Amino acid sequence: MSGEEEENAAELKIGEEFLRAKCLMNCEVALILDRKYEQLQQLSDDPTNQISQVFEKSMQYVKRFSRYKNQDAVRQVREILSRYQLAEFELCVLGNLCPETVEEAIAMVPSIKRKGRIHEDDAIEKMLNDLSLIKKFE
Amino acid sequence: MVFFEVEMQWNVLISPNELDAKGLLLQKAIIVHLMEEFANRKASKEHGYYVAVTSLNSVGEGKVRGLTGDVLFPVTFSCITQKPAKGEILQGSVEKILKHGIFLKSGPMESIFLPEKTMKDYRYVAGENPVFLNDKHSKLEKDTIVRFKVLGFKWLEYDRQFQLLATLAGDFLGPI
Repeated sequence: MSGEEEENAAELKIGEEFLRAKCLMNCEVALILDRKYEQLQQLSDDPTNQISQVFEKSMQYVKRFSRYKNQDAVRQVREILSRYQLAEFELCVLGNLCPETVEEAIAMVPSIKRKGRIHEDDAIEKMLNDLSLIKKFE
Repeated sequence: MVFFEVEMQWNVLISPNELDAKGLLLQKAIIVHLMEEFANRKASKEHGYYVAVTSLNSVGEGKVRGLTGDVLFPVTFSCITQKPAKGEILQGSVEKILKHGIFLKSGPMESIFLPEKTMKDYRYVAGENPVFLNDKHSKLEKDTIVRFKVLGFKWLEYDRQFQLLATLAGDFLGPI
């Protein structure tokens, strides 16, 4: 059913375009779309022309599923996750789903435990603790 | 759901009455046309869903079209897109419950099917409001938030969207 036979996000076998592109977490997209929405209202007398269904549905979605709401917290999440040599795609999945345990993190992003990568359980646990601290102090 | 920020180059067609010597109005016309075009295209097989234009990066030299006098401007812009990946774990909400499975939606993706046979121990329970229940009384009903894995997807050219096949087979998947 899939386009490319070998593609598998669990093993980080995703299209070249995914690996090269800058990935964004739900909470980052929520901040951008909020700002965009205001601009669109000002830009046009009839903003419905530019606010597509895709825009609207994405905005509803990221607002509902963002674990971090304020701008500082969102920035800190990326900063913390960036310390762990993750691919952009992995970073975003972790920041979106906020796993609570090491087992859950590995189930969500199996590629972080793949051979040859430095992610020991201790390192993953520290990363999850750091993330939950942001949530607590937000 | 993972979004992407990418740079693209498209052509924008401006009609002669929108051309303005002072430049500012032209700039606005280009932005408005680009936004409209972006919203209308909805999605493509290659880039996924077109969510939002974030910035206009450059406008190239316009080329006049002989017959109409319209001017075609090549523009480079940054935008946010969203495309599913096989094996990716997503969250979505239950849209519709059928005997042989559940339809979910997740952001711009509206056609996600979770077949009954990929739902582990969940069983269909008929009724006015049908649900899926498992032995531990975990329930899937309309609007339940579900964490699922993308088993596969295909691009539907005629309605310009992706159709996804989901599964709950795996740890930490199911209603949350």
